[in-house]
Amino acid sequence: MSFAGGFLRFPDLFPGRRSGEAWGDRRVVLDVPGGPYGFDGLSASQEEGVRDRFAGLCRAGGEAVVESRVFAAPAGDFREVDTRGWEYTLDLDPSPAALRFAGLRLMARLDWTPSLSGALWTPEAEGEAFWPVLENVFRVLAAYRLLETGGAVLHSAAVTDGEAAWLLLGPSGAGKTTAAGLCRDRGAMVLSDDLNAVVLGDGAPRVVRLPFTGDLGGERPAEGPGSFPLRAVLRLVKGSEHRVRPLSSARALAGLLAAAPFVNRDPWREEALLEVLERLSRAVPGYELVFSREGGLWDSLKDLP
Amino acid sequence: MSLLDPSTVLRRRSDVRYRRIEGEAVVLRQSAAEVLVLNGVGADVLDLADGVRPVGEWVDALDGEYEVDRETLASDLLAFAAELEEAGVLERVEGER
Repeated sequence: MSFAGGFLRFPDLFPGRRSGEAWGDRRVVLDVPGGPYGFDGLSASQEEGVRDRFAGLCRAGGEAVVESRVFAAPAGDFREVDTRGWEYTLDLDPSPAALRFAGLRLMARLDWTPSLSGALWTPEAEGEAFWPVLENVFRVLAAYRLLETGGAVLHSAAVTDGEAAWLLLGPSGAGKTTAAGLCRDRGAMVLSDDLNAVVLGDGAPRVVRLPFTGDLGGERPAEGPGSFPLRAVLRLVKGSEHRVRPLSSARALAGLLAAAPFVNRDPWREEALLEVLERLSRAVPGYELVFSREGGLWDSLKDLP
Repeated sequence: MSLLDPSTVLRRRSDVRYRRIEGEAVVLRQSAAEVLVLNGVGADVLDLADGVRPVGEWVDALDGEYEVDRETLASDLLAFAAELEEAGVLERVEGER
């Protein structure tokens, strides 16, 4: 099927540039790693939905590092998708200067002209229906933005003891949420069991909380750091016994690459992604972790060298 | 799919990116967001699959690199190449030479 054909009735009419009819004149600025991110063109209801969803991350206003605009699109442009038993995957079409993507009730593009900016077209006018659409676009935007700042967004569960963090990697069904829940039961804080940011900068890698969670996460300390030194990366394997064994740098890199959503499908940014993740795999020890519910997972993470 | 022979010419598929790291190779197939890890011989096969040199000449390029006789090395290289073709990492160059 051609690009976006699964989501759009007229994929050939995909917008070629950031233009269209705004929903309104409202704006939100969100403090999220890589940002702040500004979204313009919202209706009052859309703004309210976004502010509710991202409470605590909204700035009063001001400039953003990454600007995006939201436009109205006719509902008839989008296919009705039967989502029963279906895994939602955005349809991506990367090119050197832009990324087009489509999903449920959304068309979007990122452009580098010359700096990163975004655009979203959706028929969802009401806040409750709008914020999930915006969040799906925001996830992609954050992944690309983090990459261009020398970091990465990783499909992972991140747990912390308040001083350091551990990243648990694995495909859907590998047990990230289960493992994070076991750690939480023993006193750990779960940053997210879905998407987490890693920033490298000049020092040691740090895990930074993202507001993109699955079943667990979003816990915030009353005070203290918003990021944590990354102690180890663990590739999860479910099993009946508890076992930890070191991974080679190559196998750790492979796990990280597989866990880098969106950008790992982009041939125009793969060198940047490989560079960031190779640095990460060399800077932080990687392990394969076979875990069981009874295995004392959290204690063994903290005991890792 | 026919068997490989020494005259077969292979190249990396256009969506394949790889990086050597500490004696292994990490291979990313971007069209499927699939990642493989290959050992040293597999990494050498990726380097050698340049779309020009036939498989039969690969053993010359690696002569002395491994502590095996040429016959064993040639057999291993062919086996690896066949596996990587099956995995969608390599493809044949046909009718372009």
